[in-house]
Amino acid sequence: MAYVATRGGERAIEQSERLYRAAMGDITEQRVDEVKAAMPYLIDRVMGEASLYDEDLAALALAQTGGELFEAVLALRAWRTTQPRLQVAAPIAQDQLFTHRRISAAFKDIPGGQVLGPTLDYSHRILATDVLNGATYAPEKVEAADKPSSAYQPSVAAWQAENDLLDLPVPDDTKPEDIPDVTREPLLFPSKRAHTLQSLARSETGGALALGYAAMRGYGQAHPTVNELRLAEAEIAVTHPNGTTFSAGRVKVSQAEVVSKKGEKLELGFAATLGWNEVKCISAATLDLNSKGAEKGSATEEEFYLYHTEGVESSGFCIHFKLPHYVTFQSSLDAMRDAKAKKSPKPEPAQ
Amino acid sequence: MSLSTLTKDWEPMSYGFLDPSAKREIRRKMLKAVAVPGCQMPYASREVPMARGWGTGGLQVSLTLINPETTVKVIDQGADDSVNAASIRRFLARVSGAPTTLDTLDADLIQSRHRIPEEKLREDQVLVLQVPNPEPLRPVQPNMSIARQMHADADYGRMWLQLYEQIVRSGRVMQGASYPSMVNGRHVMTPSPIPRWDVPKLHMAKHLTILSAGREKRIHAVPPFTRVEPLVFDDVPYKVEEHGDLTCVRSGAKGFFMNEIPQGDGSSTYEISDSEFGVKSIKQTEGTDTIFGETWYKNGEMS
Amino acid sequence: MLSAPLPSVEETRANQSFDALLNALSRPGQIRTLPTAGEGSIVDALLDRECRVFCADPTLLPQVLETGAMIAELPDADLVFFGPVQDAEALLSVAQGSDLYPDDGATVVVRAPLNVGSKLRLTGPGIEFHHDIKIAGLPTGFWHMRQELIRYPMGFDLFFVDGDQVLGIPRSTKVEEL
Repeated sequence: MAYVATRGGERAIEQSERLYRAAMGDITEQRVDEVKAAMPYLIDRVMGEASLYDEDLAALALAQTGGELFEAVLALRAWRTTQPRLQVAAPIAQDQLFTHRRISAAFKDIPGGQVLGPTLDYSHRILATDVLNGATYAPEKVEAADKPSSAYQPSVAAWQAENDLLDLPVPDDTKPEDIPDVTREPLLFPSKRAHTLQSLARSETGGALALGYAAMRGYGQAHPTVNELRLAEAEIAVTHPNGTTFSAGRVKVSQAEVVSKKGEKLELGFAATLGWNEVKCISAATLDLNSKGAEKGSATEEEFYLYHTEGVESSGFCIHFKLPHYVTFQSSLDAMRDAKAKKSPKPEPAQ
Repeated sequence: MSLSTLTKDWEPMSYGFLDPSAKREIRRKMLKAVAVPGCQMPYASREVPMARGWGTGGLQVSLTLINPETTVKVIDQGADDSVNAASIRRFLARVSGAPTTLDTLDADLIQSRHRIPEEKLREDQVLVLQVPNPEPLRPVQPNMSIARQMHADADYGRMWLQLYEQIVRSGRVMQGASYPSMVNGRHVMTPSPIPRWDVPKLHMAKHLTILSAGREKRIHAVPPFTRVEPLVFDDVPYKVEEHGDLTCVRSGAKGFFMNEIPQGDGSSTYEISDSEFGVKSIKQTEGTDTIFGETWYKNGEMS
Repeated sequence: MLSAPLPSVEETRANQSFDALLNALSRPGQIRTLPTAGEGSIVDALLDRECRVFCADPTLLPQVLETGAMIAELPDADLVFFGPVQDAEALLSVAQGSDLYPDDGATVVVRAPLNVGSKLRLTGPGIEFHHDIKIAGLPTGFWHMRQELIRYPMGFDLFFVDGDQVLGIPRSTKVEEL
């Protein structure tokens, strides 16, 4: 028979999926638990990009995709999008965040103090190769400070505003359930503020970094200073239909404020995301800082960076070029050949 | 309002994968798309369990329209057996229980990437085209906001200029697939990357066509009996691919859009691009009783 | 998860209702059948807490409220349920969208007897040549008002419901009173 039987295509895709999954073997609850315990920062990154806070599902997605991050995020997003929305949590202010780490590059010291918290920033990046020879790499015990820093800290920008160095954004009193949701409505431009912040929160870390870095290197107008970087836990306060407000738990969040001098005042760029992801927050906040008045088509223009840091869309489109395109190619060939034939000199009719 | 009226018992998956709320949004936007033919309507475009760029826009429309009685056909580049067509067809059947078919005549809903079947679609059939890039103005204006303003102003001057420049430079319009077309005399749309051969099939057709771009979150439509006119100059007529005289090496059929198959000796052979139509043609050659639908093209000419 | 889920009663009704609406709007003037009489199945198919609705019909309002849809003033509503229309001026405040976003133009549902009353000739997308219909129960000047208001592609789209019968007239349709 001339044409490949349809079953052929179906069998091929079935077997190719099996080949991929064979490399990972059985996925068990134990595997998922190990992934979760071993890679909290990877889990955080995936949860942030998926905009779904569930460590177990994120670990499952990573286990199931063998750590193909774009696939893991897509699987989580596809799961998330079908879930009913039971409640919208109350907005949370910065000084209500249970703070683990909070640093400012703008001042040597800040009200509330510099709280280093957990970081590899000052570690020497040396691989513990002994582990491969059977040794255990056991972390040294943490020694508590004599005087613990407060879990709740004001924002640095609030202090700057008090000192007339910076204008804080006008408080937005939109009811939580009325806040535009970019997963439920299209992103249009000029973008609603909520959509911008949500898109940055969901952005692909590498994409946000690439464009943010371009802005930092000089393709943006503003040089960022990290006013405040914070890793914290946020209380999810929801209201039961009977009117009682209660906490549904805490989620890890990270946020960055970056500032730049504009005339006599500082301009503020902001980004926050689910999970702890410092690179993404600083990059995204830098894009936010640079976006006002950015030239159309530049890396720091809102439309440009919001579209191009969307990881599920960009990665999907990238891999779609693997799909056959022979119809479109055939159509182009036809036009090319015809144009070429028109150009080549026609033989003169015999006299 | 209480929680119980807004929610229901948890299910592992909604019927047709999309939750009722996602379907309602797509329904509302589909109505708007039909009401303003060729105009791109923004929609939220939920994530589905397939990668963006792989037919997620078409899929969301199909999932919204589907019910257990909908007979579905899925094609990619004209072929039912293309791997991604097989994947989408399997997914649609799996989440809806809908029957599937390869025969254009049996289908209620046809989701397609880059082709319109060679057999004429009927009034009761819906064609869903997957759209990678919904914006026909992108080659002249990559910025979506500016392009939207150009549509609002019916400002297609740069589009025309681009076509004109191609004619001056190459003696013809160089657009291959995705030929920009004026819909209902008002909106220029992309017909999706279908070959030029297929664009006239949309003009004053009996069926409804819905074009959906999942990644770019836009939906547009061509209702039945709607004018779809490729942008051309009066003195340079629209030209479909020169496939009218090509013969399918496998079935001997002639006068349809072909896949070119390069040969080792430097020549090419051709096979019918619409795979199931090709199968029917082969069956006919072999003497099997085959039911053909009326075709848009007769003897290689659009009728 | 591997066996196909079954549609619920609500899903089936919403699916059928939308099928009727989509067909009706794609082929202006052709009458389609809704799964149940009245606007109820349209509410199920289209409304939820993510859209703004104007509902002038007190009998329909409880069902509209149950969807969680935001109740809005007429100019802000995406969907309008007029019930019967008493006064053509009611159309004056219906949202028409903008030239940038024609999709902000409202979908308007009107209760009116079909196949009786004054004769109209429809032309435009979805109609091969022309299509003649009859709709009763509309106030004088209704069609004139519609024509005055619609600046295509801005405008609003109409559904007329009579029992379980529905007929659509999108903004792209030209309506001529015969």
